[in-house]
Amino acid sequence: MSDFLLTQIINYGAPLFALFLCLGALGIPVGASVLVIAAGAFSQQGILDWPLTATLGLIGAVLGDAISFGIGFYAKHWVDDRFGRSSTWRNAQKSFDSRAGLAIYLTRFLITALAVPINLIAGGSGIKFRRFMAYDSLGEFTWIILYGGLGYLFGSQWELVSDFISNFGGLILGVVVLGVGVWLGLRRRRSIESESRNEKIPEM
Amino acid sequence: MNNQINSRQRNFVVGLIIIGLMIIGFFGLRTARAFRQFHGHRPPPPFSEHVETDVELIRDWMTVPFISRMYHVPPPVLFDALEIPEHGNKEKGLKQLNEEYYPQAQGIVLEKIKTTILANQPQQIQTNPETPVVSTVPATP
Repeated sequence: MSDFLLTQIINYGAPLFALFLCLGALGIPVGASVLVIAAGAFSQQGILDWPLTATLGLIGAVLGDAISFGIGFYAKHWVDDRFGRSSTWRNAQKSFDSRAGLAIYLTRFLITALAVPINLIAGGSGIKFRRFMAYDSLGEFTWIILYGGLGYLFGSQWELVSDFISNFGGLILGVVVLGVGVWLGLRRRRSIESESRNEKIPEM
Repeated sequence: MNNQINSRQRNFVVGLIIIGLMIIGFFGLRTARAFRQFHGHRPPPPFSEHVETDVELIRDWMTVPFISRMYHVPPPVLFDALEIPEHGNKEKGLKQLNEEYYPQAQGIVLEKIKTTILANQPQQIQTNPETPVVSTVPATP
């Protein structure tokens, strides 16, 4: 799929690149990070105009994120009906609200596999749209400048960078999954210990 | 009931840890391999200052005008080598051209393009910075 999209970007330029980033932000697997690195390389080769491509790409990505935030927002009632009474769900939401900014920012360029789920969760949580947009725009800006800049720097050898970054993203995702598992395990152990301690205290 | 929830929670946590470790192992190896390949390469000089010469960088999603720009070989030369008309084919990738014009010979378009580029590339001025410049003009006292 990426190959076909790359050919189309060469032919139709920045507007199509922006459209693909918008679709990627909606969860359609277009390989958005690869496209950003490639766009940087195409700019270095004079195929694309870098400032225009970066600006339109940023608009496309932010627009896609805003739409998926909206989907999360309108699905909120359904999610609340289904999971709202669960204390685990409420705790998870509270925990997300307190770290939402960082989660939104980091998932734009570091753990991109989690970007769409985070958009949906953010839409369904109590986060204000303006706050979401601020962190989202900053994260997408970092993504485009960092990845596009590497593509620009490496030019025709951009595939090497792309291969490394794609795999590194997967590695970070694994670290996050492991981290969440360990954190939940420790929390569970602590709650079991405190429960057994309470049971041992004789009633007065 | 409580025991059932506890065992479900424990399974979930253990599952997350196992999946996390599997993802780390899988992508860790691939990242290390990609890093080794990436590490040996330095960024090339800016495009305006050098002509690409490595034909192994040509991919079958590239179009003829794109390759032409990358390797500084005019598009008519490449289309002539492929024996296909330029009109209506400028926006097609090499793979698509191969499927349309040479369905029986897989990869022939890519090979023809590589050979044509090697034969028609403009000469680059080779400068070796490690070679000392020997002056033939005697030093003035």
